[in-house]
Amino acid sequence: MPKRVLIVDDALFMRNTLRDIFSSAGFTVAGEADDGVQAVNLFRELKPDLVTMDIVMPYKSGIDATREIVQHDPNAVVVMCSALGQESLVMEAIEAGATDFIVKPFRGEDVLAVVKKVLGE
Amino acid sequence: MPDASHKYLTLFVAEASEHLAALQSELVRLEQEPPAAPLWDSIFRRMHSVKGSAATLGFMRIVDIAHAAENLIARLKGKHEQLERGEVDLLFAATDALVKEIVKLDKKEEPEGTITLVDRLAKAAQALPDPALLVQRAPKPEEPKPSADPSLPRLDVVVTLGRSCAAPGARALIVQRKMKALGVLLEMEPMPAQLMQQKGGARITAVLASLTATDEVRQALVGLPEVEQVEVRIAPAARTIDTPAPPRRLTPPSVPTVRPALTPPPVDPDELRPEPTVRVRAEALDKLLDQAAEVLHGIARLRERARKLPENVAGSFDAEIDRLRRTARELHGRVMSARLTPFSSLTERLPRAVRDLAHRLDKEIELEVQGTEVELDRTVIEAMGDPLSHLVRNAADHGIESTKERLKAGKPPRGKLTVSARRERDKVIVELRDDGRGMDAAALRRKAVKSASLTEEAATALSDDAAYELAFLPGVSTREDATEVSGRGVGLDAVQRQVESLGGKVSIRSTPGKGTTFVLELPLSVSMANLLLVQVGGEMFGLPLHRVVLTTEYDLSARGGEGFEARSLVVMGQLVRAYGLAKMFGLPSLAPPGPRPFVVMEVDGLRFAISVDRLVGQEEAVLKPLFPPIDRVRGLAGTTVLGNGRPLLVLDPRGLAELCGVHEPIKPPALAKGVA
Repeated sequence: MPKRVLIVDDALFMRNTLRDIFSSAGFTVAGEADDGVQAVNLFRELKPDLVTMDIVMPYKSGIDATREIVQHDPNAVVVMCSALGQESLVMEAIEAGATDFIVKPFRGEDVLAVVKKVLGE
Repeated sequence: MPDASHKYLTLFVAEASEHLAALQSELVRLEQEPPAAPLWDSIFRRMHSVKGSAATLGFMRIVDIAHAAENLIARLKGKHEQLERGEVDLLFAATDALVKEIVKLDKKEEPEGTITLVDRLAKAAQALPDPALLVQRAPKPEEPKPSADPSLPRLDVVVTLGRSCAAPGARALIVQRKMKALGVLLEMEPMPAQLMQQKGGARITAVLASLTATDEVRQALVGLPEVEQVEVRIAPAARTIDTPAPPRRLTPPSVPTVRPALTPPPVDPDELRPEPTVRVRAEALDKLLDQAAEVLHGIARLRERARKLPENVAGSFDAEIDRLRRTARELHGRVMSARLTPFSSLTERLPRAVRDLAHRLDKEIELEVQGTEVELDRTVIEAMGDPLSHLVRNAADHGIESTKERLKAGKPPRGKLTVSARRERDKVIVELRDDGRGMDAAALRRKAVKSASLTEEAATALSDDAAYELAFLPGVSTREDATEVSGRGVGLDAVQRQVESLGGKVSIRSTPGKGTTFVLELPLSVSMANLLLVQVGGEMFGLPLHRVVLTTEYDLSARGGEGFEARSLVVMGQLVRAYGLAKMFGLPSLAPPGPRPFVVMEVDGLRFAISVDRLVGQEEAVLKPLFPPIDRVRGLAGTTVLGNGRPLLVLDPRGLAELCGVHEPIKPPALAKGVA
């Protein structure tokens, strides 16, 4: 069974880039969300194996969304996608329950390396 | 390595451009109102989004600028005093520089150096405290020193983080969390917070009290991303235990025990979210519109053919064609409405423009924009960009007085400029209102006479309201001095021409001492036009019906024969100049001698007539723009395709008027406006 991933980012550009990375590695992109509110709703609906979560987003930040997702499902695997110079936000996200993180700019193999490790593959 | 061939480059350019355009307005708001947290958040988010995507593409110049700007934004947000002009200027400079970089990307040009700007942003940021550090310094609730059963084995753990680790602080936090899940973490050096913003890997040492086997601890930690090496040893001081110990976990993963079942957020942010949308390239919509129009043309052709069918078949055929035509029209309408663009896309750049103008002119100007949600066809929006900027410049430069002048006149020192849009049936009314000095009717009259647009008598006969409209004549200005920013009058004629070419109207209302309002009546869409079809010299032409006053027949041959250049007709009791269309375009006139049809048209209140060989009929047609080289021919407005498949040139009445010399301001009798 291919792993199902939910991609959360407010930039369509980033979502498309991540979608290509995951699709080419045999993942199924179960859904995409462009803000924190949608992320929480889609997580509950889709129950994906993995969430990639942007931090700075409108309506609800990736940190708050992660907190809600982990409260809903303590086993949720949420990987934060952060940009350079956001370390304190990433640390806040980890404290909120994020499993791991990747830092933009990333290459496809960096993303997949982190994701495979956190999924225990 | 910049990836200019990335398949999502266009998408990046589009998204970044949108963020930067919105940033311009938000930065202006920053100066105008006491900045609130949501405004700062939005500004930060936009800059951040541009940076993140650019980083993925490897556009490091964009990343550098956006990153430096983002840092400054984060620090300015924490600053409690009033922002300084210089600080906001710097953010504007960053936005401008990013726009430039993006434009270059779009044109696939190599970007140039940006080091000085990044330096200036960094210097400004360094002068302010770092919010991230402030948070860290905030006293955290003191954690009790961890203690563990002295009988538990102590493990010495050394974790090496890879040199490429981009966020060692965050990575160390994950290592810390993992160790806490394996036992009681007694010591850790350095702590995650100490590793923040350190580059080039790290070596973490820790003491863990745990019954977990050393190998298992090692495996668990090595399994974490970016962890290069892990050493786990039983501390020499501790009591040894048989290595294959039962893998008894001491502490469950740190999940708080009491958890509310998902607390609902206080306000449902769902309500804040706009309707879901799909991004479509404007070009794709243009093509779709073209094709929908083609379908309409095809149906018109079918109908034409059906006319030739025997009557018993024609009836049922007609009904089917009618049904098809209704659907096609609806389709066309839907594509048209998909092309609708909010007025905000026109006004987005105004706050910045007004701010810069005000600074340059040393005036205080407040801009209010209303009706940003009103939608117009993209063609109208695109055509109105320059005219609107021009009117805004005019108002700021000439309409609104200097602060000193305003105070003397008992007005508030800050001038106000209001740009509004509202829908009225099939029109959109755009108003640009200033509370400045108003227009000077006497000066306009003088100017018009001086520039030979008007005779002295005609000028004095004009009411003040009619005199304001003189500003639309080329070369008439209310101010003697044309300034660097704008010269009133210069370009107002261009504004009028542009609005009218869209089938709209522009008028002026002004009250001395109180201000001036420009009223622009714009069509919701421009592509469909009702045409009067006329034939001249074997060629068919279309004339926009909204310009046609009436058609009539005259026998001019009785009064001087063919080949006339200009004659006068009496139309509704008024003398109207008449011109031959055939002559204008160098075509032979094929009309038989005797009475011939004339089309009387009106442009700017001026009436004139053109003679044609034959009036053919009316048709509603989808106007297409002219293509080179015929776009340079004066008197033409566009092309269309008729139901019978024949292409048709559509005439531009304003151009015709100019071609005839009716519209040139030199001819005093032509300026009947306001007198009639």
